[in-house]
Amino acid sequence: MDLANTSSQEGEPKGGVLAHLERLEARSRKKFEEPQGTPAAESALRSKILQLRRLRDQLRAAVERHGARVEASAEPDQALQDSEQALERKREDVKAILQAYRFTGLSGKLTSRGVCVCIQTAFQGNLLDSYFVDLVIQKPLRIHHHSVPVFIPLEEIAAKSLQTDLRHFLFSLCEHLNAYAGRKYQADRLQSDFAAFLAGPLQRNALCNLLSFTYKAEPGGQAFPFCARLLYKDLTVTLPTDVSVTYEGTDTPSPSWEEQRASHEHLLRTKPLHHVFAAFARGEERLELRLAY
Amino acid sequence: MGSMEAEVHVLEAEIAALKLLWEELLAPAKLSAPVQKSFPEICQSDPKEWKSSKDLRSNLGHLESELLFLSTLTDINIISYSKKTKNLTSTEMTEKSIKKVLQRHKLSGNCHMITFQVEFQILEVQNQENLSSVITDLNIIMEPTAYSELSEFVSRAEERRDLFMFFRSLHFFVEWCEYRKRTFKHFKEKYPEAVHLLEGASSSYMGIQSTSQPGFELVIVWRIQVDEEGKVLPKLDLLTKVPQQALELDKKGVIETAPLSFRTLLGVLGIEVAVESLIRLLCIEENH
Repeated sequence: MDLANTSSQEGEPKGGVLAHLERLEARSRKKFEEPQGTPAAESALRSKILQLRRLRDQLRAAVERHGARVEASAEPDQALQDSEQALERKREDVKAILQAYRFTGLSGKLTSRGVCVCIQTAFQGNLLDSYFVDLVIQKPLRIHHHSVPVFIPLEEIAAKSLQTDLRHFLFSLCEHLNAYAGRKYQADRLQSDFAAFLAGPLQRNALCNLLSFTYKAEPGGQAFPFCARLLYKDLTVTLPTDVSVTYEGTDTPSPSWEEQRASHEHLLRTKPLHHVFAAFARGEERLELRLAY
Repeated sequence: MGSMEAEVHVLEAEIAALKLLWEELLAPAKLSAPVQKSFPEICQSDPKEWKSSKDLRSNLGHLESELLFLSTLTDINIISYSKKTKNLTSTEMTEKSIKKVLQRHKLSGNCHMITFQVEFQILEVQNQENLSSVITDLNIIMEPTAYSELSEFVSRAEERRDLFMFFRSLHFFVEWCEYRKRTFKHFKEKYPEAVHLLEGASSSYMGIQSTSQPGFELVIVWRIQVDEEGKVLPKLDLLTKVPQQALELDKKGVIETAPLSFRTLLGVLGIEVAVESLIRLLCIEENH
């Protein structure tokens, strides 16, 4: 009798075979109780039977152990795995969203003492430096460490709202840092991209809220007839509040010089510094003048 | 004897069957192996943070509280975020060790009552000296709100590709809106007879009516403007509604100059005190 065939014919291999095994075992027990032949051959056969039974029992135990595991894992294990995968997916989502906060300009990480806030700066699409402020959350709120440059009036901003409105404090600091980064970026770009238009290095203070430079507006010109002084009174802005352009030429200024000077003042007050010089480089000064008024 | 031999055969057959069954049981385990493998693989991607489901849960809990903290801190609630990157590095660039990557980001969320969806591209160029990241394209979609002031500002932020300015100004704008609402509500509660909020506390108008002189009405128009640089500033105006008869009696032109005087008052006293002094002016008149 082919057992393998029997089991597969029954359609339920696991249950069928086990049931069959039980039937066979019951039958073998009955046979064991029946009268036996010669004692020597009998004892040899008996020991063989015992050996086979031990082997069978071991095998059956192994099968049953495995079967139990498979059956148990069929439902709960799958659910556990699903929930773990769901958890994992959720964790990845949360992690991604946390990272996305840097695009708001303000992100942070919880620390054992409080929170370490990261402030990202940019000027018109150019992503610039980022700064951190490590805060100890207790009463009163305390700044533990920070990378804010010394010339940024951090203490003044903190005195205004750190204790009363942390959110306002951080956004105000954001405003200051972004404005500083923006002014510095414009000055850097002017110096790096339009050095040929400048008579010497651009003079600036650390906050980059006072700039002065001697320049020309025509790419081909030999002389540097103008001197500009830009003041940003409000430290949270990237366009100057006061602009003065003076004529430095040796010739007596003609009416056209005066017209140019006035148009430069207007351009510098309303457009980013490097954009003004980009217009000069393209020879668009006149066009800009017409557009400006 | 025959029966014992028979039992040996049976036992041998039984053992053979059990062996077969054993093999059958192992087979599906082999089949499902790749499925099971994928999970440990994910876990192994971050072995320090992940040890068991319990660790995963506590890690997730930590991240979620961090998220809650950040959304409270910034007042900006990011609900979904996705990122796609495209490598634009050509072989020529690789030779010069230049890396060029284009990232596409998409995030949506809300800041109080204002919901937004922001899409932008960041071009990252890394050469030997430095890394430059530039937002090359910025699209901001906002659900139409009662805040018409915002649409102009949004298009300016898009034009300048100034993502941070958008969020910063949005924050300050909402902060001012909340302040205006609180102030209007406060006056409505304090002077329920005189103060009228026809369009609700969230609108930019607040009417002050004299109950004893029905024709007299003042309207405070409190707009919140966002300037070129993204700075948010309140702008308050005073409108007067006075009967023609009273206007004729107003020899000194008090009513005519009221809007201008209100501006001066604002500058000296600040918003709350200036508005309150106007309300009391009408209330005191009522008492006479």
